Amino acid sequence: MKIRKQQIDEVLAIIIEEKEANLSKSEQFKELTLQEINNGHRKLIISFVNVDYLDSSFLGALVAILKSLLPLDGKLVLFGMNEDILNLFQITRLDKIFVLKMSLEEALKEF
Amino acid sequence: MTKSFPIIVELEVPQKAEEILSFTKTVIAKINQHKSLNSEQQGRIKMILIELVTNSIKHGNEGVSQIRLVIDQPSLTIQKSEKGLHIKFSSSSQQIPFKEIDQRLKISFSEQNRHHIQTLDTYKFKFLNPYLEGLTIEHMPEHFGFYIITMASDSFIYQYDPETKENSFLVHLNL
Repeated sequence: MKIRKQQIDEVLAIIIEEKEANLSKSEQFKELTLQEINNGHRKLIISFVNVDYLDSSFLGALVAILKSLLPLDGKLVLFGMNEDILNLFQITRLDKIFVLKMSLEEALKEF
Repeated sequence: MTKSFPIIVELEVPQKAEEILSFTKTVIAKINQHKSLNSEQQGRIKMILIELVTNSIKHGNEGVSQIRLVIDQPSLTIQKSEKGLHIKFSSSSQQIPFKEIDQRLKISFSEQNRHHIQTLDTYKFKFLNPYLEGLTIEHMPEHFGFYIITMASDSFIYQYDPETKENSFLVHLNL
C-alpha cells in the first residue's frame, strides 16, 4: 500500500498513491491510519486524487477510521474523489456521514 | 442489421483484485457493443461488477465463478454463479432453507452488518433497501458489498440450487 504523508500545521494529510483502493489494500491502509491516530493525530485529511476506484472493503476501512477518530474529538476530511467514487459515497449514503471536498485547500478550511 | 435480443455474454470472473478494474471495463465495452449506456448507467454497472467480483475473491469460493450478462430491451441482468455451500447468516438470523415464503426478514452476516430481505422461495431471497432504519455512524457497517449492489440495481436476488450446489446472484437493471 503506497501512501505519502504530509504534515500541514496540525493536520496530517495522507495521500493514497494507488490507482486501486480495493480489498488487497484496505486492511493495510486501515492499520496504517489507525497507527497515526494512536500516535496522537486527531486532524486527518485523506487524498483520493490518484485513486481510480474504491471498493466496499476500502469504504469499510474508512468507516472504521472515522469510528476510531470521532470519540477522540478528531476530524476526518476526504478530498479529490472522481465521479465514480463520489457516486459510491452517494449511493451508500456515506456522503451524509463523511466530509467530502474537491481540493486540498477546501479540505484544510474544515479545520 | 437488426439485433436480436436478448443477447447473452458469458465471462469468467477474475481471481485477483488487480484484474477487477480491467474486467469491469471489458464488460462495459461488451454491453456498449449492443446497447448504448450513459455515464450514470455505466457507473452503476461498474459498482455492481466490482462488488460481485470482490465478493468472489474475498470468500475464495472453490472453482471458477462465472458472470452471465443478459442484455435485453430495456433491461440488463448480471448473473454471477459459483459452486459451493449456500450463504450462511449469523447465528441470530433465520437460516436457509427458509420455512416461510414471501416474508420480510432482518438477517445479518456479522454483528454490524444488517440486511432486510424478502424470502421468495426456500432457497431464494431478495435484498431490500438497507437504509429503512436510517443511518448513523454508530450503526454504520464496515461491510458494504451487498448494500452497494442493492442500491445500485433495481433488483438483487440470491438463489441456491441444492442439487447442483450452485449459488447465483442475480442483479437486474432497467436501462
